[in-house]
Formats: sequence, C-alpha cells, structure tokens
Amino acid sequence: MPTENLSDKRMSKFKNKGKEPMKMRDRRIAECVELRKAHKVESIMKKRNISSVGDEPLSPADNTDNKQVISETIQEIVANVNGDCPEKQRQGCQAARKLLSRERNPPLKEIIEAGLLTRFVEFLGRNDDPTLQFEAAWSLTNVASGTSWHTQQVVEHGAVPAFIALLASPMLNISEQAVWALGNIAGDGPSYRDGLIDCGVIPALLARLTPDAPVGYLRNLTWTLSNLCRNKNPFPRFSAVQQMLPSIIQLLHHSDKSILSDACWAVSYLTDGPNERIDVVIKTGILPRLVELLGFEELTVVTPALRSIGNIVSGSDLQTQAAIDAGVLSALPQLMRHPKSSVQKEAAWAVSNIAAGPCQQIQQLITCGLLAPLVDLLRNGDFKTQREAVWAVTNYTSGGTVDQVVHLVKCGALEAILNLLQAKDTKTVLVILDAINNIFLAAEKLGEVDKLCLLVEEVGGLDRIEFLQNHENNAVYRAAQALIEKYFSEDGDDQCLTTEATDSNFVFGASDLQKRFDF
Amino acid sequence: IMELNDRNLQTLTEYLQKTLSPDPAVRRPAEKFLESVEGNQNYPILLLTVLEKSQDEVIRVCAAVTFKNYIKRNWRVVEDELNKISDPDRTAIKANIVNLMLSSPEQIQKQLSDAISIIGREDFPQKWPDLLSEMVTRFQSGDFHVINGILRTAHSLFKRYRHEFKSNELWSEIKLVLDTFAQPLTELFKATIDLCQTHATDINALKVLFSSLALISKLFYSLNFQDLPEFFEDNMETWMTNFHNLLTLDNKLLQTDDEEEAGLLELLKSQICDNAALYAQKYDEEFQPYLPRFVTAIWNLLVTTGQEVKYDLLVSNAIQFLASVCERPHYKHLFEDQNVLTSICEKVIVPNMEFRSADEEAFEDNSEEYIIRDLEGSDIDTRRRAACDLVRGLCKFFEGPVTGIFSGYVNSMLTEYAKNPGVNWKHKDAAIYLVTSLASKAQTQKHGITQANELVNLSEFFVNHILVDLKSPNVNEFPVLKADAIKYVMTFRSQLPKEQLLEAVPLLVAHLQAESIVQHTYAAHALERLFTMRGANNATLITPTEMAPFTEQLLNNLFKSLAIPGSSENEYIMKAIMRSFSLLQEAIVPYIPTLIGQLTHKLLLVSKNPSKPHFNHYLFESLCLSIRITCKASPDTVDSFEEALFPVFTEILQNDVQEFVPYVFQVMSLLLEIHTSSIPSSYMALFPHLLQPALWERTGNIPPLVRLLQAYLEKGATTIASTAADKIPGLLGVFQKLIASKANDHQGFYLLNSIVEHMSPDSITQYRKQIFILLFQRLQSSKTTKFVKSFLVFINLYCVKYGAIALQEIFDGIQPKMFGMVVEKIIIPEVQKVSGQVEKKICAVGITKILTEYTLQALIGLFELPEDDSIPDDEHFIDIEDTPGYQTAFSQLAFAGKKEHDPIGDAVGNPKILLAQSLHKLSTACPGRVPSMLSTSLPAEALQFLQGYLQAATVQLV
Repeated sequence: MPTENLSDKRMSKFKNKGKEPMKMRDRRIAECVELRKAHKVESIMKKRNISSVGDEPLSPADNTDNKQVISETIQEIVANVNGDCPEKQRQGCQAARKLLSRERNPPLKEIIEAGLLTRFVEFLGRNDDPTLQFEAAWSLTNVASGTSWHTQQVVEHGAVPAFIALLASPMLNISEQAVWALGNIAGDGPSYRDGLIDCGVIPALLARLTPDAPVGYLRNLTWTLSNLCRNKNPFPRFSAVQQMLPSIIQLLHHSDKSILSDACWAVSYLTDGPNERIDVVIKTGILPRLVELLGFEELTVVTPALRSIGNIVSGSDLQTQAAIDAGVLSALPQLMRHPKSSVQKEAAWAVSNIAAGPCQQIQQLITCGLLAPLVDLLRNGDFKTQREAVWAVTNYTSGGTVDQVVHLVKCGALEAILNLLQAKDTKTVLVILDAINNIFLAAEKLGEVDKLCLLVEEVGGLDRIEFLQNHENNAVYRAAQALIEKYFSEDGDDQCLTTEATDSNFVFGASDLQKRFDF
Repeated sequence: IMELNDRNLQTLTEYLQKTLSPDPAVRRPAEKFLESVEGNQNYPILLLTVLEKSQDEVIRVCAAVTFKNYIKRNWRVVEDELNKISDPDRTAIKANIVNLMLSSPEQIQKQLSDAISIIGREDFPQKWPDLLSEMVTRFQSGDFHVINGILRTAHSLFKRYRHEFKSNELWSEIKLVLDTFAQPLTELFKATIDLCQTHATDINALKVLFSSLALISKLFYSLNFQDLPEFFEDNMETWMTNFHNLLTLDNKLLQTDDEEEAGLLELLKSQICDNAALYAQKYDEEFQPYLPRFVTAIWNLLVTTGQEVKYDLLVSNAIQFLASVCERPHYKHLFEDQNVLTSICEKVIVPNMEFRSADEEAFEDNSEEYIIRDLEGSDIDTRRRAACDLVRGLCKFFEGPVTGIFSGYVNSMLTEYAKNPGVNWKHKDAAIYLVTSLASKAQTQKHGITQANELVNLSEFFVNHILVDLKSPNVNEFPVLKADAIKYVMTFRSQLPKEQLLEAVPLLVAHLQAESIVQHTYAAHALERLFTMRGANNATLITPTEMAPFTEQLLNNLFKSLAIPGSSENEYIMKAIMRSFSLLQEAIVPYIPTLIGQLTHKLLLVSKNPSKPHFNHYLFESLCLSIRITCKASPDTVDSFEEALFPVFTEILQNDVQEFVPYVFQVMSLLLEIHTSSIPSSYMALFPHLLQPALWERTGNIPPLVRLLQAYLEKGATTIASTAADKIPGLLGVFQKLIASKANDHQGFYLLNSIVEHMSPDSITQYRKQIFILLFQRLQSSKTTKFVKSFLVFINLYCVKYGAIALQEIFDGIQPKMFGMVVEKIIIPEVQKVSGQVEKKICAVGITKILTEYTLQALIGLFELPEDDSIPDDEHFIDIEDTPGYQTAFSQLAFAGKKEHDPIGDAVGNPKILLAQSLHKLSTACPGRVPSMLSTSLPAEALQFLQGYLQAATVQLV
C-alpha cells in the first residue's frame, strides 16, 4: 500500500521522497487547470489599469456603455489624433485616455480597431511635447493592461523600444508611465518578458533606481521588476536575474510596505523554480531579512515573504537547512496561528516541506514547538489548511524516526487525522491512510501494534477506516482494506515446483533435470 | 458483417426470447450464440433496431439489457488487444443512443443511460465532443421525461468527480463540463422551481418536477466536489437561496403514506443537506454568509420531522450536518447561546434517541439484527447514532452546559418513569441511552468505554438506577430496560469499581434465563466481557475463587440458555461458555462428564448444517478446553474423550463437512499429543487417509494437517517405520507439495523437521538425496526470505542430528563444491535473518558444528543480535472476535494450541558455551593455528565477544 501511494505525483514532488531526483519538490506549476476564481489576495495583479484620478471631471461619454456614444467619441478622437494640430492631438489623446481609464469595460478593442495605436506610439517619441507623450503613454499603458491580445497589439505597434527610451525621460511622470507600461507588457508572459529583457529594459530601469526617487515612482519600478522576474516555462534567464537581484535585495530593505510587498513577490517568483534558482537567491544572504518580514503585520508583505520561504524549503535539504538556520522555525508558529486562513495554509505548506526532510530537520520542528500548532491546524484549520497539515503529518511519519513518530502521536496528531478521514477530498483521505500506515510501521518496530490498534479504535478511527472499505475510489478502498487486514483482523497459491499426485498420494521425487545449482 | 435485414432481426429476436427462458437447456445455448455473434459488425445496430422497433415490450427491455452488457464487455479498447467494436458501429451508436434513450420508456431509458455512461467513461469528452451540447439542447424541450433522462445520464457521467483524484486531465474535463453545462443547469433549476409553483396543485406534475430537482441537486454535488468552481461561486446566491427555500418547503401533496420508503421530498432535502455540508466543510469562507440560515433551516426541519422510518436518512443526514458544523471553531458562536443549546438538546437530540416502535419490533422479532446494530455499531445511518455524534460534537466546546442540560432531562425522564413504570418505561430507556452517549468519550470492543465524561457519575447511576433492574425478581418484566441495564454494565465495565462488577455477576447469571433473546444474549456477552478483564499482575480481574459460589449456576444457566428458542446456535452464549471454562480452569472438572455430552450433542447437530461460523468455532474451543483442563490433572481421561468424540469426528470426516475438518484435525492433534505411550491403533488406521491429495487441496486444512502429522511422527515414528513404511514416500510427497508453494513452504519444513527429528536414520536414508535436490530446486527457482529462513533451520537441524560431515557429503554428492557455495551464499549472509528463540538455537548449534574460519563471524552476529523476546498474549485473553468465516483459509483454535518444541533440548544448554568448547577442541587438535586464524579473520569487536564466551566456558585456545 505505501509504495502505491508514494508513487503518487505530488509525493514525488516532495523533496527526498520521490524516486526521480529531479522532480523532488512540491511545485505549483503542475496545477495549471483551475476551477476556482483567480485568487484575490494570494498574488498581485499581473497587469494594472490606471483609473481616472477622482477629481478630474468625466465627460458623459467616459462613463456610458452606450455603443453609439462611444463610437462617436472615438470618431472624434481619430479625427483629432490624425490631424496635425498639436492642440487637437493632445485633446484627442486625453479623450482616449479618459475612455480607457474607466473602471468598467474600457473600450480597448474599439480604440485598437480605430487604428489609433500607430499614432500613440509615434507620439511617445515627441520629446518636444511632454503632455502629448504623457497622454499617449497612459493610453497605451491601459491598452496593454487588457488581455494578451490587447498587449500584443501594443507590442506589435513597436511600443517597446519607445517606452524603454522614455524611461530616461527627464520628466518623472513620463518615465513613470513608461515603467508602468513596460510592467504590463512584462506581466503578459515569458515571451514578452524576455523580449523586453533583450531590448535592454533592465539597465534602463535600474538606472532610475536612485535614492532620491520618490516612493510612488519606486513602487511602480518595483512592481515592473517583479513582473520581469515572474512566470516560468521558461524562467527569466540567469544573467537577467543576476542583474536584477542586487536591486531587489536593496528594495527589500525599504520602509514602504508596498515596495516591500512587490519586492517579496519578485523573490517568490525567483524561488519558485529548480534548486539552482533558489540557490541564486539564497547566496544573496537575504534569508534573515525574509524571515524578519514574516513577522510583519501587513498581509501584503507576509504573504509573498511566506511564499518565498515556502519555495525555499521545498528545495534541497541544504537549502531548507539554510532557511532553518535563518530562524524560519521560530517565525512559523505565529503564522500557523495567523487570523487569515490563507496564511495558515501557506505556513502549513512550508511545514509539510520541512517535514519531508531528513530526521534531523524533523527534530528541529519538534524542538521549535511546531507540532502543537500543526495539530491545532489539523483540528481547527479551514479545509485547505487541514489538507496541507495532513501532508505534513504524512511526510513527517514517513521520514521521521520511531521516537519522532511516537512524539507526534502523543501530541494528538493521530486522533486529528483520523477525524479528517471524513473529509470530502479523496486525495486527502488517501494521504491520511498513508500516514496511519506509517504510524503502524513505527508501532511494529516498537512492538506496540496492539496498543495502537486500541488507540485508533477508541477515537473512532477503526469505524472510519472500515467505512472506507466501501469507498468508490480503488486506491482508497485498497489502502483501507490493507490496513484492516494487516492490523485489525486476527490472522493474516503460488506453486513454484510441480508435484504429481495420485488419488491416494502425492508422488515424491525430484525431476531429473540436471541443471547446475547456483545460488 | 451482419446485414440489417428482416431475417437477421427475426433471428435476433428469437434468440433474445430464448435468453429469457427459465429452462437452462434453452437459455444457455441462446446466450452462447449471442456472445458468439457479437463480434460481427452491425450486431449492436441490430440490437438497437430490435430495441426500437419491436412490438413486444419484453423483447425491447431484453434487447436493452443485452445491449448494455455488450457495451460493458466490449466498449473499452485495451491496448494491444483487438478492437472489439468496429469504428462504424461506434460512430453509429454514439450518433443515435441519446435520442433513443430519450424516446424510450423509463425501464429502457435506465439501461441506455447506463450504457451511455459506460461509453462516456471511455470516450467523453475527446471522442464524443458533441455529447454535452446535445444533452443541453434538450433542456429546452420542456418535456420532463426527456429532461430527467438527460439529468440521470449526466449524473452517471459526473458522479465519478466525487471520488477521483485531482488531476489536470480530470479538471480539464470538469472545466469543459462546467462551461457547457453549468449555466443551462442553473437555468433549468430556476425554471423547474418556477414550474413547481405553477403546478403546485398538480400531483403528477410535481412528482416529475421534484425528481428533476433531486437529480439537479445531485449534479450540483458532483460538480462542486473537487473545488468550488468560479461559476458556482458567482451564482451561489441563486443556488443557495433556492436550496434554502426547498429545505423549508412543505407540500401536502408530496407527503407519502408509506411509512418506510422515503418520498421525493425527503430525498431532495437529504441531498440538499449533503450539499450544504460539502460547502460548510470545504468552502466555508465563501459559504459563511449562508451558513447560519442553513443551520436554522435544518434545525427547524429536524424539529418538524416525524418519527417514521422514511425520514431516517433525512434526519440522520441533517443531524450529521449540525454535528459537523458545531465542532468547527468559527461556527461555534452559532451554538453558544444557552437557549440554542437547550433547544437542540430538547428538540433534536432527545426525540431522536427515543426507542421507537420500529425498534421495539426489532427487539422482539428480529433480535439478531437488533443485536448486531446495537452491540457491534453497524448503526452508522441510524438516528440514534447521529444523535450520539451530535452530542459528542457539542461536547467539544460545550461539555459543561450540555451535560448540565441533559442531567436535567435524565432526571425528569426518570421521574416520569417512576410515576408509572408500566406506561413510561421508554423514558427510562431514553435516559439510560442519553447517559451512555454523554459519558462515552472513547470506546473499544475489547474494553468498552475507556474514557468517560468526568461530569457524569457512572457509579452512582449504577447504584440508583441500574441495579434495580438487574435485581428485579421477575427477569421477564420490561425486557428492554433489563437489556439496557445489562448493556450498561458491559459498556462501563472499565469505569465501574470491582465491587459493583462482582455484585452484578450473579445477577447477570440469573438473566441468562430470560426469555427475551436480546436480554439473555446481552447477559452472556456481558459475562464474557467481564471475564476477560485484567486485574493486578496481568491476571483476570475476576478470579476463579470469587466465582466459586456461582460456578454451578453459571454453567447450568449458560447451557440452559442454549435451549431457549432462537438461541440454539447463539454465538454469544457459546463464547461465554468458552470464556467461563478458561477462567474457571480446574473448577470445571467435576462438571465435564456431563457437559462434554452436551457439547458433543451440539456438535453433532450443527455438523448437519454448519451455518454459524462463530458459534462453531467457540464450540470447538470449548471442547479443547474441556480436554486440556481435564487431562492436565489426569492424562488417562484422554481415552474417555476419544470415546465421546470419535464417533462424531468420524461422521464429520466421512461426510466431508468441509467447515469442520480443520477443527477436527486440531482437536485430534491435541488428543494425540496427550498420549504418553505409543500411538493408538485407531490413529494408525487413519494415517493413510491423511495423505490423500484431495485433503491438501483445501488451504484451510494444511496447517492443522501438518500439525497432526507432526503429532503422528512425534508419537509414532517407529510404528510408521515398522508398519507403514510404504507410506513414507506419500508423506514425503506431502512435504514436496508444500515446499513447492511460497505460501505453504514453511509448513513443509515443519513436516520435514519432524521427519528428520523423529524417524530413525535408516528409514529415510534412501530418500535423503531427493529431499535435498528438491530443496535446492526450490532455492534456485524462487528464493524467498521465508524459504531461506526455514531452509537454514532445517539444514542446521540436520547437521545437529547427523553431523557436519554428513551434511557436507550429501551436498557435495549432489554437485561438487555445493557445500562451500551454500555456506558462502546462503548461511553466512542470511543466518542473521532467522527469528525465534528455538530456531536461533538450532542454527547456533548447527553452525558451531560446521564451523570454519569464515562462518565464525556470522555466528557471533547471531548471538549478539537483539533477541525477539516478546511474550505471547496470555491465551485466556485471546480474542477471536474477528475469526474469519469458513471461506477464508484456516481458523486456528487458540485452546488447541501447541507448545513450542525444542528438538535440541537440554543436550545443548547454552550454545555460546558449546562454541567455546568446540573451538577449544579444535585448537588442541592443531595447536597454534586457531588463534592466529581468528585474529586475522575476525574484527576486534567479534573477537571480544568470543573472548567472553571462552571465559564463560573456562577454556583457552592454544
């Protein structure tokens, strides 16, 4: 039974437990199909629209869904923008920007189809008219914040080199606009991200990272950098990461929470990869700071910091040890008791990966007092958290020493996971059965199987395991059946040689095949 | 290819007709024929045509069933195997089947719907892309016969989402289903609910509409099981509001008269409870705003739902919902209020704990089922069980207040009872049940309640309310309350002080006489459980001395209760008999002459038709105990047991009562082992029969037969050699048969070891070489750890008996240098795996004898390995609760147990000393060589151990 479970995909993704050394970690990538709504808090926006500033008066057209009105407005914009009068061009651009800044249904497609992008990109080069540059940049930024198709239109109209050039603009608001637009393009996915990098976006951005840059500007800059670190398949190349990392590390020491948050997200993207990628981050010596950030009040900082730590402890044993040495284990208990269940879940995930390590690291989980909050999560966490906590128990019991397993049982983990056998999630149930099996293996080594059987029965676990023998899922019912047969029933044909028989006797005698014996 | 013509249709119809014949001579050939032609192209199309066109309703259904089975057998395409259905047929089936299903009457519709889901499991979605859209379009048909067909098919396609593991493949499919199906399903849900209002007075329309709603609710569960889909999160308001309304809905027209069968309304509400429970467990963050409403609605539902059996599933689902919600910390506040708690206790828990008339009927007329449900906990879905779970759930956060509220109830119910016991006895039953469920925090079969709620005074309740019923002079009055009282003692046996248990024992003995089956069964069971309790020093809590005053009464009543109608094969009573014998030991000797007659008589009766495996098992155990206990004091009495038992045994063996044969062999082994002189002739007469291959084909016979043959060898090796030498090849044939099997090879070695140990060398010399060749062949063909361990024990035993030289000669006689190879490849690397005290000793002594420079180290390892010193459970306490039925192999009788046998015995006391002495002897034979050989070939640690052995033996190497 256990081997069958171990061959499971997720199991092989835990470090150490899997059979393929290259795929030993819990990756989020495998789960690309999602049924749920995209998470709101869990991650920052890939792309951002710039909404109208509140005090600007909006024309009726700016806020109507009436196709007619919009279409008329756009025709007017086209006329203005395509004309030669700078004043009209500015007016047209501004009108377009306002339309595109609506919170609901900005007419991105209509603007593109009106053929306006060519002109807007052209306007980006108009150093003589900063207002025009600014309005055009804003419009393009918002178009780029749409779907991939929208972004593609912006890129294909040649906006990238123009925006990169604008980064150096002496007008801070224009440069900032360019930062933002480039962030949107980078956030679209790996190919535009790499395209930007090829065009030299990184040095151009880093050149603007100066001590006297205003906080608002730095926030956008950090966000754009984080988008340049984002996405895999492929990851951003090492040279680019190396270029950005010192600045990101520097930003991680900033005092502004929003900058910290985006810088943390950047780190979380960089650590969400193979061990070599994690190594690059660890080598910067940032771990103690990350651990420190775990203690912050702001959810926007804690979430990505915890995600980064979670990624790191899903790396090699050495990498996990580095995180432990940086003090992560003293930060985790309070996160496991955090009021937000999403934080509890991430913390439990990190614990589950540490528990997949060698028994020395498991011992540190014990020493640092993580078992009590873990059992607490098993009992009282929300379902997603319980699921991670169950993985932690299974990893712990499959890698821990007999004494460590006993200790975990004494902390109440067994009773808690037995209760969760009622969970309406097949995988969780199977993972629990695996943990129970591990605990029994430990009990066998101690000669305490009978005692464990009684304990399981006392807390109602036997009833639940028996009930699972009727489960529709084959793996679950086989695992349950194996446990029952092996531990809860009182007792426990395959002929290798042939024997002739008559009615009254078996015929004794070896066949004469003169084969050499060789053992 | 079968043409689609009238003649073929006619032939097919005829054969289908024949498959319905009750006469197997007609039916079987027809079935065979159909199977033989099903590989032909067009066969399924012909079937569907008959199904569609036949005028005969019976033939149509038959065609539908045949079609479904055909699909089940053949649709799946197995890699590297022939595609059993041609591609054109597959396409044609998929193109027509949905339509055909929808236009068929319900009975056929169900078969075709099953067929669709089998096909769907293989082909959907990739190879059947338009299935869903085809189905969805039909939602608009407005014909609810069609719609229900679609919903049913969808349910069988989607229900696997409830138990399969998350995977990208599965989730992609679900996503696809959601994209096409979720919106139309939601629209249909709303439209159906509207129609229910429009047709609120039309019972026939309502029935169809409500079965649609029930199916829609099931689909909701499947589609929401894996994760909360974005669509349903966005539309939660619609779904939950409507679910909530449906929960609170009552329509007189939909109430059924049937008391047993759940009606449509109940099924729908039950499913809604499941849906709410799913959301509460998995998606609590999103569901939180709706949860309080559902708690209230479900609770109101419980308060207003009647006691009829048809509501059982609904009520237990509803209570389970509350139970799972109330123990979640973030919902705790919903229950915190004292009034809420009181009201849940009063209106939900107490009413569902009441003893209903259905329970009363079962108690009287269906006691066996009642006992299984009540005693063994197969009551998962019952109201009482659900109510108990709710009590336990509430106690997680509110143990104090809940105990307080219930104490008040218990008191008032007991007062009610006291006013008029004859009328109000059910109040006391409920009170006892409530106390039990409140007090039980942890429970096992072996020990009863192991952890109790400290707020409940169990001992006081025993004195004030339980003892009265136990002591009641009329044992047949209020049997339910009596059974409750007995069960109380049994349940709380670990919590009650010993004096109270001792006080209860004679009372329980008296209740063995009660007419009520439940009552005397509980009494027997309670006694049996009390007798297995442990006291100080691991001995039984209740001693034979303490039982002395009641012994005669106990035995009398136990055997008398077997005569009460309905209890003639009562396994609880038989088990109590076994346990009493085992507890009382010598004290039963005076009664055995009478009792053995009764047991033998019982055996004769049940052997005609063995139907109660547990009863029979305990019967044989009781026989073994009678024999062992009596013969321990006076071995001579073994003859009288044989006299009493052999006639029945002969009958069992002659009639080949398969269930009993293994038991008979075990009892015979026990009897034979008691004999001190040579083997009686009655046994020898049986000997040839024991070697018959037919007996050995049944796996359950093997262990007891081996055991019996071992007893023959131990007591009669010489007799066999002198009077039955011609049977020796047959005996060895058995050995050969057994070692050929990975499962039974150890049994073969048991037999072989006994042969080597007990048979004189000259009687087996001629077979020796063959024996070893067989072992080597097995070793070569499949070398398992178990086999190697047994093999090592055997060759060492052989070496002990015949000497190392003899062993080496026989090995090398089979193949040159074989001995060295076995030493190097098997003995040295594997000997440390040998387990068991005696086995290790045999190996130690054997290896000492074949000592060479390279085996020495392995030997020291054998000595210094940690020994397995676990002590077997005291036999008396052995629980045979889960003894498997006859179909599984072998039911070992604990009390026929064989003592461990040491073939070396006192000849070698301490094998370490033997090693030291043997080395000393060797070194004096060739002085100077042994110490240098040891110091070069052994690691320091091993040398140190060896030094210790030499010192202990007071010898020195020279």
